[in-house]
Amino acid sequence: MKATVETTDFPAARSAEAWYAAQDRVQGYLIAHRVADWRQRFEFTRRILEGAAERQKADPGLDPTEAAMDETQRVMADWFARVMNCPRDPDDRLAIEGRMALFLCDGPRNWPGSFLAEGPVPVDFERAMRTPALPSGPDLNLSSMVMRPIDLGPITEAAGETLKRIDRWPFLRLAMVTLILVGTLAVIF
Amino acid sequence: MKRRRFFFCAGIVALTTLGTALMADLLWRDGLTGIELAMLFLFPILFGHIAAGFCTAMAGLWVTARGGDSRRITASLAPGEEPRLASTAIVIPVFNEEARSVFERVRVLFRSLEEKGGLPSFDFFILSDSNQPDRWIEEEVAWAELGKEIGGFGHVFYRRRRQAINRKAGNVADFLRRWGKNYRYMVVLDADSVMTGDALVTLVTLMEKNPRAGIIQTAPRLVYGETLYARLQAFSNRLHSALFLAGANYWEQGEGNYWGHNAIIRVRPFMEHCALPPVPGSARSILSHDFVEAALIAKAGWEVWLAYDLEGSYEESPPTLIDSAKRDLRWCDGNLQHTWLLTARGFRDANRFHLLMGIMAYISSPLWLFFLILGMIDAFYKAALDGAGVLRVAGKLSVFGHPFSELALFVFTLLLLFLPKLIDTALALGRRGEAARYGGRGRLLASSLLEAAGSVLLAPVNMLFNTKFVLINAVGRRGSWTTQQRRAGGDGTDLRTAVAAHGVQTAIGLAWAAASFVLVPTYFWWLTPVLAGPVFSIPLSILLSKTSVGRGARERGIFLTPEEIRPPPELAELERDLAAVRNGPPAAATPPDHGFIQTLTDPYTNAIHVALLRRRHPAPAARAWLEGLERRLLQDGPGSLTPREKNALLLDPDSVLHLHRQLWRRPGGAVPLLP
Repeated sequence: MKATVETTDFPAARSAEAWYAAQDRVQGYLIAHRVADWRQRFEFTRRILEGAAERQKADPGLDPTEAAMDETQRVMADWFARVMNCPRDPDDRLAIEGRMALFLCDGPRNWPGSFLAEGPVPVDFERAMRTPALPSGPDLNLSSMVMRPIDLGPITEAAGETLKRIDRWPFLRLAMVTLILVGTLAVIF
Repeated sequence: MKRRRFFFCAGIVALTTLGTALMADLLWRDGLTGIELAMLFLFPILFGHIAAGFCTAMAGLWVTARGGDSRRITASLAPGEEPRLASTAIVIPVFNEEARSVFERVRVLFRSLEEKGGLPSFDFFILSDSNQPDRWIEEEVAWAELGKEIGGFGHVFYRRRRQAINRKAGNVADFLRRWGKNYRYMVVLDADSVMTGDALVTLVTLMEKNPRAGIIQTAPRLVYGETLYARLQAFSNRLHSALFLAGANYWEQGEGNYWGHNAIIRVRPFMEHCALPPVPGSARSILSHDFVEAALIAKAGWEVWLAYDLEGSYEESPPTLIDSAKRDLRWCDGNLQHTWLLTARGFRDANRFHLLMGIMAYISSPLWLFFLILGMIDAFYKAALDGAGVLRVAGKLSVFGHPFSELALFVFTLLLLFLPKLIDTALALGRRGEAARYGGRGRLLASSLLEAAGSVLLAPVNMLFNTKFVLINAVGRRGSWTTQQRRAGGDGTDLRTAVAAHGVQTAIGLAWAAASFVLVPTYFWWLTPVLAGPVFSIPLSILLSKTSVGRGARERGIFLTPEEIRPPPELAELERDLAAVRNGPPAAATPPDHGFIQTLTDPYTNAIHVALLRRRHPAPAARAWLEGLERRLLQDGPGSLTPREKNALLLDPDSVLHLHRQLWRRPGGAVPLLP
């Protein structure tokens, strides 16, 4: 895998170690996407690192890992926009929808080599990616469920009011319980 | 129904009167002391409670002996009748539960309904109030995996509330406000409930055929007992509940009770009449909402039935005695709240009786303890007076010093407590093929004897637990809303936990035993069944909690149930799935914050989570606070955040997306946070 770094023309400002770290990060991100085919990972990483090198040339302050992951996000977003036939958006929502669609259709596993490929993707893969999914709930059909007070009867109402007052002084409550216990014991003995 | 109620109530009154007369006869021979008066006051209350249980069982025996109750809800279905279906939501409120276990149940139920052909009428809603970030994420992932596996999106929905207002009842009410109008019925299940597709379809058909039915409650069987305690409970539930349930239906009829789960509810009247107000005298919500909801829907003129003979409804029991006590602490709090509602205007008498029985289930414990203490003091007094001990058996056939009343009362009480169990066992032994469902006659008999011995030992332990809970409640302390332990962790309760839970009980038992042995030795021997439980509560609790002992009992055919010997396909399938879950990495081995970290690092979990969040635009101050949390997380790791702060980050889609991006692009060897 080191060949990826070794065959790419990297800006000399950064050490090879930094580019190896960037390469590992891209590889890790692809593995996290369940891309099992190492050849596909190799090919994609090579493309990414080339793009990252360009980015780094334009902005030398950028760490290779940052440049590589920015490039990865861009390439993925472009791929999702193309395959899902959606315009790119600035706030990553497309990336979310794309990853969800990928997860639901098990894209990397069911169509190995197609995910992130530059050419056309299989029709059924494209269809699966465009299928809207993940409804977390049906359409809302709002209605009210209004709480109705329960008529407790006069004795319970009066007791409730009394307890409400007692609750403001927890000491009084404890004293009452103690008094009942002591009183009971007094009756017994 | 009036005639049935008359016989039932008359039975309770007659038995209580007879028992009280025998008690009074015993007490007033030497003139009534203050203690004896107090005992005589308590006795009918306690004996009436036992008599109610006995009369329920006898009513059950009566209808069973006559070939079954003709007036039961399931009788409204003709044999082989075509099912009638209507839009039904299966609602599963969860709170920090083991997600895979919950969703395995959904999967089994989904498949079962699919096979039955009823799936198009049913939707599933997993309604989460989980506040532990890891549990929340586990639920989301489990839901997405399940939906993908079974093609359940559009039928299986997941929702987590931002604010867990009013606990389970509030969660269900929130569902109803959002989607209730879409459904004619809802079936409420607990996180440990299982029902078969057959049972669900039958319940909907029963509702369709009985338009006045507001709620139909099923009688769930206890299953999947691994520990000895859970197995004992499951066996007891299976063998001994049949008569009680049939008897309950005998006198309840259309004024039954709702137990909070494994029941079908007609949505419209439930929404109209069952929104619960807070507890009178405080701002607290009603905890044991189910009894009150049954009372409210019945008050509005709807019927509540117990489908006691409907097969295919299951749940699990707590794995250990201590877990059961923890549950009782919550239930005690909830049931005691019902005291406020006993005299509520418009409630049906049957509902008042249900509320009263719920209260008595806990209040009776301190009353029994008080009664026993009074009895002991009385015995000590008399022993001191006659110098020889009143409990002597002085050369004549006598018990407690008198020839008839004491023996009669003793035998009478034992009959009320154990006759229903004897009848259940005898019926199972006598019916052709029935004993085989429990592993054969020998095993059934052995299990019954062990169950009786177990219940004798456990009853005083539970009495002491409940007494403590009632006292805790009386001084205003409350049990918190915790997740119920569904499965045994490790191999049961360790010594330290057992001592902490039962230490005081053991001390009480030992002190009581020593005092009675020294002061009135004959009384000591009569007390041994009551004292044995508390004295040996620590080893007993540990023994009952052991999965290995439970497994050993199963291998020897002890406490076998028909569901174990010949499980329905749904239970067998779920058992296999749950075994796979249990054989996975134990919870203790899961690194802390695994769900939280997974959301921020795994692209798919991140996408699932964000897709389920509603887009919000926090105020600038809130955004600044969230950004501060993000910085702290990136700098110091998840350990630097409180669960509340982690939840706040997880609730904000922008933060979750931003952190995902930042974690992956941070320079360094490995992705930060990843092990």
